[in-house]
Amino acid sequence: MPDSNRTKRGKELDRGRRDFLLWVPLGIFAGLTATVAAAAFRFLRPARSTQEAVWQTVAPVSELKGEKPIMRSIVAEHQAGWASTLEEHFVYVLPHKGNQVLSSICPHEGCNVAWRAEEGQFFCPCHDSFFAADGERISGPSRRGLDPLPAREQDGMLQVRYQSYLNNTEERIVRG
Amino acid sequence: MSEQSDSRTTGVEPRDNWVARWTTLTDIERTLIDKPSSGIEAWARTTAGAVVMLLSLQIITGLLLGFYYVPSTESAHTTVAYIEKVVPAGSWIRSLHHYGSMWLTLALVLHLAQMFWRGTYRRRPVGWMASVILLGLILASGATGYSLPWDARAFFGTRVTEGIAGGLPLIGDGARAWLLGGSEITPITLARFFALHALIIPALMLTVLAARLFVFRERALVSAAEERRLEKWMHRQVLRNAITAGLVFVALALYATKYFAPLGPPADTAAPGYLPRPGAQFLWLFQMLKYLPGRAASVIAVALPGLILFGLALLPFLRGPLSRVMAHPRRNIGFVLFALGFLLFTGLTIVAYVDDSRNPLVRAQLRRQEAEEKAFRDAPFTPLRARTSESVNIEPRSNNANNGATPETSPTPGSGGSQNSSMQGAPPESYVTSCSACHGTRGQGTNMFPKLVGVGSKPRRTVEDIINLLNDPLVYGIELPMKSYRDKLTEEEKREIAEWVAGLK
Repeated sequence: MPDSNRTKRGKELDRGRRDFLLWVPLGIFAGLTATVAAAAFRFLRPARSTQEAVWQTVAPVSELKGEKPIMRSIVAEHQAGWASTLEEHFVYVLPHKGNQVLSSICPHEGCNVAWRAEEGQFFCPCHDSFFAADGERISGPSRRGLDPLPAREQDGMLQVRYQSYLNNTEERIVRG
Repeated sequence: MSEQSDSRTTGVEPRDNWVARWTTLTDIERTLIDKPSSGIEAWARTTAGAVVMLLSLQIITGLLLGFYYVPSTESAHTTVAYIEKVVPAGSWIRSLHHYGSMWLTLALVLHLAQMFWRGTYRRRPVGWMASVILLGLILASGATGYSLPWDARAFFGTRVTEGIAGGLPLIGDGARAWLLGGSEITPITLARFFALHALIIPALMLTVLAARLFVFRERALVSAAEERRLEKWMHRQVLRNAITAGLVFVALALYATKYFAPLGPPADTAAPGYLPRPGAQFLWLFQMLKYLPGRAASVIAVALPGLILFGLALLPFLRGPLSRVMAHPRRNIGFVLFALGFLLFTGLTIVAYVDDSRNPLVRAQLRRQEAEEKAFRDAPFTPLRARTSESVNIEPRSNNANNGATPETSPTPGSGGSQNSSMQGAPPESYVTSCSACHGTRGQGTNMFPKLVGVGSKPRRTVEDIINLLNDPLVYGIELPMKSYRDKLTEEEKREIAEWVAGLK
């Protein structure tokens, strides 16, 4: 009887030691992994864009007349990651709506919309969304109308602050 | 009593822990198991744990760096500088990767020495050869990785690697040309070094490891009782390995927080008189090249370490024919190879450091370079400036903020191009309404859609072709979002667009 007791206790000790031999290496492994994973998380975290959009001149106000939307292009500098790129953006100025400025980017999947004079509508050639002359959505897969851009008049010039919106949403959400 | 009968029938310890039940780790452990040892010898064997940890760390940090690094001559240096200066934890991770490669070389050399000392090559020829091949691959990985940051140091490192490849007997010239992808160091060279460093060599390493762990079986047949003893010992040995690996990691992690991986100014700004110095694991090679003249240099620089590694890899098989002339051919040859390797590696490395520290001119130049690197490191990050479209022709952003783009630089439909005299006249109204939104006001393309400039000089793009293409883009292999304009434009409009586009140069 005492003999079997001793083997039982011996076995328990043995098990405890085996557990120790298992958990300590696992603990060390977990420590290394956690350290590297924490650094990897910080390393890969998406960069927050801190760039302030600047006011850019679109055209002299005196040039902007008539009933049709007028297409202009502006070139904006984008700093993203390690590269600073110059991107050309198209905008439509609506002289009959107090020089409101619309982005030419279709709010559906981001193609450039075209103005079709004969129909008096904006039309996206990618997925056939149609928009009225004031940018309101008429038909097609787009979930909202064309996006207005902040604009102002200064020293006889129409200026715009270019910004891009999340596509394929009902609400307008500025990126960044 | 029941336990006894258990072990007699199954022959192994009852599998009562989840590692044994749910993983193949126990099987891998048995592949790795070798004669048990105790005391200092058992701890000497934990070089294995250090090698495994450092190799895994190289792979992980390498993968992480791959999220930012771009292997092109325009971007490589900028992206490495971005990792160093902007990305959180970037300089730590790059430092781990840089110094880790040296520590890994050292750990593997110690591992081989320790295996040789215990005579492992006799009992575990596959394991032994895998370790020797791994050392060769790790050295190759270090040599190719050196070129990737594309600073002056990297450029000269590439020169030396190229020269050494050219020194290979018989295949030298071919090897040099294939490595460079031509006769000079070009963007192709950087792409090749990147492919070797990040794709080919790691794939070979993993193949060797997989073969070692999962393909070849080197288990000596032992009795059931012996096997139980081995397994118990192995569990304790895993603990020792984990402790060594943990300590080495802590040491390397602290080292990497204190010392930056070197990064100098870009390759093309190196002043004459620049003194390139290789990583610590190649200093011996660098020093050897000082003593050897001309073509012989690269032959010997390749042949000597190559022969040592080759001889070591073949060690398990040297017995048969040689045992007639020598009592212990493997032990003796191995000893000579190790002694030679040690002398070469340690001796020349020390000489290289002493040489540099004794020559005042060299010391001054190296200090200048160090100061240059420090100045570059402390300077703020400057992004790469890229242009996206041909029409872009504006002042930098600071001007923009004040007066914005001038009317000339915002091309308007019909206003005519002022920046390029060879350009076509104003586009027809139909082009402006139907095409310009995607292809740009003057056919220059927009960020997502192709330019039309130069289309007229391509095959199958005559005016008639372009009209047909507007009707049936698919016939010309052009897919959505380019659509058919068959019914959207009149015939005259199609012709006037086609004629205007064909004239774009």
